[in-house]
Amino acid sequence: MKLVIKDLKKKFNEKEVLKGLNFEFEKGKIYGLLGRNGAGKTTFFNCINEDIEVDSGNFYIEDEKEKRKLEAEDVGYVLSVPTVPEFLTGREFLKFFIDINKEKIKNLKTIDEYFEFMKIEKEDRDRLLKDYSHGMKNKMQMLVNIIANPNILLLDEPLTSFDVVVAEEMKQMLKNIKKDHIIIFSTHIMEIALDLCDEIVILNNGFLEKIDMNNIDKEDTRKRIIQALKEEENV
Amino acid sequence: MFKSFILSYKLKNTYRVNSIIYSIKQLPLIGKRLPTSLYSSKGLKILGNIISTISEILNIFLGKVIYILIMIVSMISMYKGNNENNFIHMFLFLSLAGGLLNTYMFNPTKDKYYAMILMRMDARKYTLSNYYYSMIKVIIGFLPFTLIFGRYYGLSLITCILMPFFVMFIKTIYNSYILYDFNKKGKIKNENVPTKVIWILIAVFVILAYGLPALKITLTENIFYIIFAISFILGIFAFRYVNKFKKYKKAYKSLLTHDNVYAVQKQTSGEVLQTNTLKQIELEKGTTSNKKGFSYFHDLFVKRHKKILMKSAKRTTIITFLIFVTLIFVVEIDEKVSGRINELLMTTLPWFVFIMYIINRGTVVTQAMFMNCDHSMLTYRFYKTPKVIIALFKERLKTLIKINLLPALIISIGLPLLLYLTGGTDNYLNYLVLFISIIAMSIFFSIHYLVMYYLLQPYNVNIEMKSSTYSVVQWITYVVCYLFIQVKLPTLYFGIATATFCILYSLIALILVYKYAPKTFKLRV
Repeated sequence: MKLVIKDLKKKFNEKEVLKGLNFEFEKGKIYGLLGRNGAGKTTFFNCINEDIEVDSGNFYIEDEKEKRKLEAEDVGYVLSVPTVPEFLTGREFLKFFIDINKEKIKNLKTIDEYFEFMKIEKEDRDRLLKDYSHGMKNKMQMLVNIIANPNILLLDEPLTSFDVVVAEEMKQMLKNIKKDHIIIFSTHIMEIALDLCDEIVILNNGFLEKIDMNNIDKEDTRKRIIQALKEEENV
Repeated sequence: MFKSFILSYKLKNTYRVNSIIYSIKQLPLIGKRLPTSLYSSKGLKILGNIISTISEILNIFLGKVIYILIMIVSMISMYKGNNENNFIHMFLFLSLAGGLLNTYMFNPTKDKYYAMILMRMDARKYTLSNYYYSMIKVIIGFLPFTLIFGRYYGLSLITCILMPFFVMFIKTIYNSYILYDFNKKGKIKNENVPTKVIWILIAVFVILAYGLPALKITLTENIFYIIFAISFILGIFAFRYVNKFKKYKKAYKSLLTHDNVYAVQKQTSGEVLQTNTLKQIELEKGTTSNKKGFSYFHDLFVKRHKKILMKSAKRTTIITFLIFVTLIFVVEIDEKVSGRINELLMTTLPWFVFIMYIINRGTVVTQAMFMNCDHSMLTYRFYKTPKVIIALFKERLKTLIKINLLPALIISIGLPLLLYLTGGTDNYLNYLVLFISIIAMSIFFSIHYLVMYYLLQPYNVNIEMKSSTYSVVQWITYVVCYLFIQVKLPTLYFGIATATFCILYSLIALILVYKYAPKTFKLRV
């Protein structure tokens, strides 16, 4: 299965942010989306998540059998700002989420098993989410998206709010689940990208560009990424 | 010093002009069509500059004339006695209070923050040049009106000319005191957060300003001259102190903290709104729900927001109940009033449009829904599926209607009852119409608010207002309801018309929500 992007364009007012993206994201890989500030990473995610309409071009899922449009269930989007319903406890949020999505969730586990999976402590599970820390809210948000088991996981700067230990856990977790998903995550931090991703994709001047990762020399890759990001238009 | 004044004025002007352009861009329909390059368009900059200059001039004169008209002239008209003395008396004491309340120098405004903290302008030059400018504005602004009104009340020309200078000296004396105090204690007084002593002083001055004339005790022009002479001498020293003061930079660093500067603006910003709404969540031990899915979710929302949802509805219910009990009591003992109320009941049903509008909790409830729930939940894809949106909409509509029906029931039963007790009516249909139209209005407003929210939700994920259509619709709702107060129509016809309208509107609105909400109910981008 892959996510195919074809000539995707989007502009705000006169500013062309996405000038025709073309790419194929494949299942089983983690893609690091690198781009400078304002390059359009969030716009790209918003398009895939259908929060905004694209001006032209399209994107679809393609597997052995068919080409099809993305359904709501196909995409999970974890924002960098944690957003959780603050008036519920962690357990209640999960219960509600599972209630709603029961038919779609494969091999359903118990709520506590999910908490275990995400390493959320027993004493925190019945507290109101409004009293959770930033990182814990992020964990909940990530967890809900993983339970839904969408084909495509969009993660916007996912690891920056975690402390080093949790960040390491999360990295491991992403590696564990990647075989069933297309995971695309945006980041500013090159270390995370080089460390975790199978592919690095650069969003620059409104186009997507794949960086060759076959080279084992990390330093070399790093230089090429910087070079690519610095490139101005029409050079 | 003149140079730094020009610089700071230009700075202030630039962002003033930009905010004028920004507000033009926020207008519905027109705004979106305007390009961002607007900010660099010369013609618009010139227009912005003209508007900004006009507003500066209005600011100089308009504020002063309104102040004198409302605070002094209108008050004088209420007193009998010597107008001439009343005028000078009130002006003097109000100026003393105003000096404490409005110093110019210690108001933590954004222009000061930008200029001295962000742009690192020389604090002393900036402060002094702008302070002198504002003092010139005080004198130029007041002078025409002290002359016009002072002469009108019969004060001498000299007095009228001295009055604005008195204001200037008072402000400067107080400012020099604040600086002196800072020098000693190292803390600056924030003008927007007056201490208790300041409040008491202000209260005393205001009481003296309005209280003494009521007792026929007032200052005379001669006493004013004496007080002016004192303020003049102290004022000269104060000006010298202010002028020589060295530590403006340090003083402003303690005053212009981020919180102080943004305090005024913060109260209305979404961020604060959200923190305040979040505070309303209550977790009582054992609040759970046996329901499932959205019903479970919504049920917990209602239970955890009992206070914000139910409290004021209950309060309104009790108050309306008490009002009706009192009215029933009154019409039983006073026949005259009884007759009049009977008459009113047959013609003033339109008033109740406004009353029902006022007591409806729609705005608060939808706001809580957004801030504490949808703001976060709308980032989840599953929450945005048409099925979930419509299911939750139904649950919410039921709750909102129920909340608002509580006081509405009292009114809808109270009105026909009152009509009956005050002598009744020939046409029995009137009882029914009163009852039904009030209920219809209540349901109408509940639906109206919720539908508007589902169709026009204006915020983005950072709780910034992205569309003004929602506010415009709310404002129109207010104006229309308010206009109904002016309308007088026979209850029977108006009631039938309203009930029909409410039912039709509600049906159309519900159809719209079912059709469009899955598309419109989202966070703005």
